Amino acid sequence: MNKEIIKFFKFSKGTILTSIICWFFIFLGGCSRIDHKQSALDPKGLVSQNQYDIFMLSVWITIFLFCAVGGCLLFVLWKYRAKSPEEAMEVPPQSHGNSKIEAFLIVASTVILIILAIPTLQGVVLMNRVPDPNDSETLNKLNLDKSSIEDAITVNVTGKRFFWVFEYPQFGIVTANELVFPASKAIRVNLRTEDVIHSFWLPKLAGKMDLMPGQENFLWFIADQEKILSKMDSDGNPIKSSIEDAMPPVFNGKMREKIFAKQKFTDEFEAVGGLFYGQCAEYCGNSHAYMSFRALAQTDEDFESWVKKYQDAQNPNLQPLEYDPEKEYQSGTVVSFQDDSTGETLTREYTATKSVNKGQAPNLSQAAWKKTHSDDYEIGKKLFSSLQCVQCHAINRTGLGSKGPNLTLFGIRTSLAAGWMRNDEENLSQWLKNSNDVKFGNLMWNGEGVDDSHPLRNLEDDDEKVNQLIAYLLGLK
Amino acid sequence: MSEAAAHAIDHHEPETSTGIHNKKVLMWAFLGSDCMFFGTLISTHLIYRKISATVGGNFLDIRDVFDIELTSFSTFILLASSLFMALAVSAIHKGNLTSTRWMLFGTIIFGAIFLACQVYEFTHFVHAPGNELTLSTYRGEPHVFGSTFYVLTGTHGTHVAIGVFWLLGWLIYSFTGKMSTADAMDVEVCGLYWHFVDIVWIIIFPVVYLMEYAF
Amino acid sequence: MATESIKYLSPDTDNKTETKVFPRPDQHAKGIVNWLTTIDHKKIGIMYGVSALFFLLLGGLEALLIRSQLWSHNMEVLTNREYNQMFTMHGTTMVFLVIMPLSAAFFNFIMPLQIGARDVAFPRMNTLSLWCFIAGGIILNLSWFFTGGSPAIGWFGYAPLTDNRFAEVLGDMGPDFWIFSLQVLGVASLLASFNFITTIINMRAPGMTMMRLPVFTWMTLIVSFLIILAFPAITIALVELMFDRTYDTNFYDFLEGGKPHLWQHLFWIFGHPEVYILILPAMGIVSEIIPVFSRKPLFGYGLIVFSGAIIGFMGFAVWSHHMFTTGMGIVATSAFSILTMLIAIPTGVKIFNWIGTMWGGRIRFETPMLFALGFITMFMVGGFTGIMHSSVPIDAQHQDSYFVVAHFHYVLIGGALFGLFAGFYFWIPKLTGKMLNEKLGKFVFTLMFIGFNLTFFPMHYLGMIGQPRRTHSYNEGHGFETWNQIATIGAFILGIGIAIGIYQFITAAFNKKLKSAGKNPWDARTLEWTLSSPVKEYNFARTPIIKSRDQAWENSYGPKENHSEKEPLGDHGVHMPDRSWCPLITSIGLFIFVLGLLFRESIEVSGSYFATPYEVAIGGCSVFVLGIILWALEGPAGYHLFPKENEE
Repeated sequence: MNKEIIKFFKFSKGTILTSIICWFFIFLGGCSRIDHKQSALDPKGLVSQNQYDIFMLSVWITIFLFCAVGGCLLFVLWKYRAKSPEEAMEVPPQSHGNSKIEAFLIVASTVILIILAIPTLQGVVLMNRVPDPNDSETLNKLNLDKSSIEDAITVNVTGKRFFWVFEYPQFGIVTANELVFPASKAIRVNLRTEDVIHSFWLPKLAGKMDLMPGQENFLWFIADQEKILSKMDSDGNPIKSSIEDAMPPVFNGKMREKIFAKQKFTDEFEAVGGLFYGQCAEYCGNSHAYMSFRALAQTDEDFESWVKKYQDAQNPNLQPLEYDPEKEYQSGTVVSFQDDSTGETLTREYTATKSVNKGQAPNLSQAAWKKTHSDDYEIGKKLFSSLQCVQCHAINRTGLGSKGPNLTLFGIRTSLAAGWMRNDEENLSQWLKNSNDVKFGNLMWNGEGVDDSHPLRNLEDDDEKVNQLIAYLLGLK
Repeated sequence: MSEAAAHAIDHHEPETSTGIHNKKVLMWAFLGSDCMFFGTLISTHLIYRKISATVGGNFLDIRDVFDIELTSFSTFILLASSLFMALAVSAIHKGNLTSTRWMLFGTIIFGAIFLACQVYEFTHFVHAPGNELTLSTYRGEPHVFGSTFYVLTGTHGTHVAIGVFWLLGWLIYSFTGKMSTADAMDVEVCGLYWHFVDIVWIIIFPVVYLMEYAF
Repeated sequence: MATESIKYLSPDTDNKTETKVFPRPDQHAKGIVNWLTTIDHKKIGIMYGVSALFFLLLGGLEALLIRSQLWSHNMEVLTNREYNQMFTMHGTTMVFLVIMPLSAAFFNFIMPLQIGARDVAFPRMNTLSLWCFIAGGIILNLSWFFTGGSPAIGWFGYAPLTDNRFAEVLGDMGPDFWIFSLQVLGVASLLASFNFITTIINMRAPGMTMMRLPVFTWMTLIVSFLIILAFPAITIALVELMFDRTYDTNFYDFLEGGKPHLWQHLFWIFGHPEVYILILPAMGIVSEIIPVFSRKPLFGYGLIVFSGAIIGFMGFAVWSHHMFTTGMGIVATSAFSILTMLIAIPTGVKIFNWIGTMWGGRIRFETPMLFALGFITMFMVGGFTGIMHSSVPIDAQHQDSYFVVAHFHYVLIGGALFGLFAGFYFWIPKLTGKMLNEKLGKFVFTLMFIGFNLTFFPMHYLGMIGQPRRTHSYNEGHGFETWNQIATIGAFILGIGIAIGIYQFITAAFNKKLKSAGKNPWDARTLEWTLSSPVKEYNFARTPIIKSRDQAWENSYGPKENHSEKEPLGDHGVHMPDRSWCPLITSIGLFIFVLGLLFRESIEVSGSYFATPYEVAIGGCSVFVLGIILWALEGPAGYHLFPKENEE
């Protein structure tokens, strides 16, 4: 062995100690900002704040214990080290133990555990039970409004390989991968799965709970508007943002615009306070890593508008009817009729520009009707059926049993591929052309019944079709 | 007795710390472990018993499935075999070879009758008209009862079968003319196993077959 | 060696020993036959150790691939399925093929020496355990070459992911290999544990009362009891799973009335005691080393033994803390939360007592002691994060995040592996008769300590900022990159450290330059250090009569009445049992039998029909039964050695 290594060893004890200390400080330094997108260290809701508080309590307890026991260990090692080879051969007094010290240490550690046990038990109850709205004492203690509990929103979450279905039973609507919720209300989440075990993890709001097959699990959370509005600037100093900045409305696409405008996808920290990141936390198969989701906080009014818009979109009675010459139409009514102006025969939607009387044949040249959507949109809509997308994806319907995510109002979504990418033209085109490149093993590419002859697998060189599909999908808003 | 036997086998073997022969300690340790095997199986069965009655809208009443007379008979037979086993151990300790053979033979026959009953019972259940209970179905619909029932009683049956083969080994050995009181310890260990298998059945029988009659 | 051998003839059993059912190699067998037929607990211990170190390299390689894949976001070192296979194999290998057999290596080699026994109670059964372990390891790793590759179900194999219904590759055989290898490994562990229990209860030297047993032997006993009581749960769970997969039963099939929850309960009823099965041997080793290098007896011996037993006992009462997020309800989670906190107390007691042992001692910082100290500090970190997880609300964030990964690696590498390495550095001089290179040892320690902390400390933070476990990739924009890169660098440093360590252990047997160890190089305290290094094949020429707890120490420093005595040398000399082929034959039979059960399609050799799986299974079973029958008929037999007065 060469001399340098031997020299290195002389200092090994010191090296170890200093390295521990150095690491501790490097670690602290690295943590100057802890509000990463999916960080449990940056709680924004009541439940997660409680979890965070108990965690920090345990951190301080264990740091104290580590310093006490570790310090004691270091002291003993230093004090009783054999300083010379002669001393190393001495025989110290052979004491066998001291039952008083041992008993004291056992009692002391029990006391410390009780300090942790009490908030733990309180926390268990809080996590599992939404407080009773009539129990004003508890509500006061938790600083909650009675109405925020009484008007709680229920969301039924169904986990599938590898995406999330969010159903709002109170409103009769279904969406996927993006959970829109009002910041002022408690959200009761019922968790189910149709295949293997998944786990719903929303670090900043709720902790996690598994989705067990054959069983319904429950968790709840309530966001804290104050915390959503407070954020950090690039140096880590707390600043306050406005409601428009933190919780722009989802229903009219403002949220999407704001997120896209404010930052790059690769930014480590989220600029829009109302956007939360979640992830499947139980191993569920090949693409488990890709099974993420988002949660978007809204003000009460914006949430109501979103719900209304969704209900309308998924209400079969509100879908445009076929033009009926026996009816009168108000200006602005949307109907569908046959049209072959794009070279293909398709049923497309028209909006009445003025009142249309009974009995008139649809006459496009009269300027009474204008096209509701672009040609690309209409062709894309047709392609969506003819390329068999519709086999798995429901649009404007509440198809709970469908294989793929529900794509209703896809144009206002912020992400695609279960929260994996930003939902813009470029990414959508990449995704449609070869989703296997983006998310290896995804079921859109590899699922049951999809093989090389499937039209989806042949889109790679067909820019035109892809663009039409994109026009359709992003036009859904 | 046991120490004497130990010495007869190998007088060089040092006395054990506890005075109990090594093989006996080994068998007791194994039986402790085996308790956990059956404990796991019985708890699986009990956990599913309540749930399984209502799976698939297909109510399963244990009284429709089991043939309690036959199983009571085979239970009696298995318990009686324990008596033969005890007599066989006693006989070999006394050095009575003829008696040992007969008692071993009786244990084997009774064990075999029990196994035959079980085989009959299984085939009967699988083909019972209107009440077919297979590993995965009941009356043709998916069901858990068959899974837990067959695997639990089947595991017990496997234990009995292993015991029967073991005893058969001893019986054959007794005709080679080499059997002596030196083998008493080994037969006793085999007996321990046999009694344990019986005791397990005393637990399985009421838990699996009789519970619905009691409550 | 002035020995001469005679055939053992006892008046009672003349004909028995003369039954030549199968030729047995004689005592002077050399080379491969020596190793294949040995029934010597020391050689079995060595084989356990060497094969486990091999699997450590294999599992470490898998770990490094995992770490390379996580170097940055969206890496493509491995595909997602390959990655999932890696972490499954890494976990299964490290738990069942590395830490457990390494512990078994020490149990085998050291425990009989510590209690003054010439061998374990059932030497041939001991050999069978070894071959079953190796068969299990081979079966698990054979999975790479068959349909679907190795299992991608996690080492916990949560139902219903293991069900055929959810297989992601058509006819995936990975889970089958996993099930059967675990069953075979279970057989190995159970047999070994029955053996150790019998040995410790029954084969102690005169005067070696239970409260004079060295702590390592106590831990062997406790771990053996844990194994025999915990393994049945997983064996049955695996049997049920095997029935589900092969015969279409409905134990875990929720669409047909089963409950996936049941698998988790059965798995963790085994799995949590398993955690103590992994850590208690290391605690035993550390409890041996710290007194030696402090030159003081263990502080609170009784309490350490008792707390070990309490940990073992309570280990059966806390399994559900692995399932806090599965929706068990308020009462169950609270109860298991409190029980889990309680188990921290006996664990803390051990740490206090180790520090108490060093108090007032003369502490030497030689390699085994460094590893033992590394063990204490790293285990403390792992233990403290364990206390955090015992609190349900904290666990709701930590569960299945990298925080948990950090936690259990602190316990299993910083704890178990450091403890086992301490054991290697401590006892290899006894094994080879030569001292290891102290400087190289300290170098290995430094590499391992730094590499380990670099790898796993950042993972606490990664978990807290949201990186989930068992994900083959992470998205950009989460801030995971930097710390993952540090962890990957650390993993390679740790890997190099372990590789050098293994090189050092393996070459210790051949390296001529190392200086000789003598009987008691560390001035250690327990009985094995009164024997020569390397230990003679009969261990003790004359059975010692034990007078005190730390017998080797008392012999050098204690009062006269505490010195051990020896039983007189008998006329018959030392009776040694014969070597035997039977354990090997039996385990080969088991191996073939299991492969037969595993396959579902006919086996073809170069295109032509060879055998159906059932034929293979029946063939294997026949070999297995034949092995047992031959075994029963051949008897222990044996020969005699006549060592001189002090030749031990």
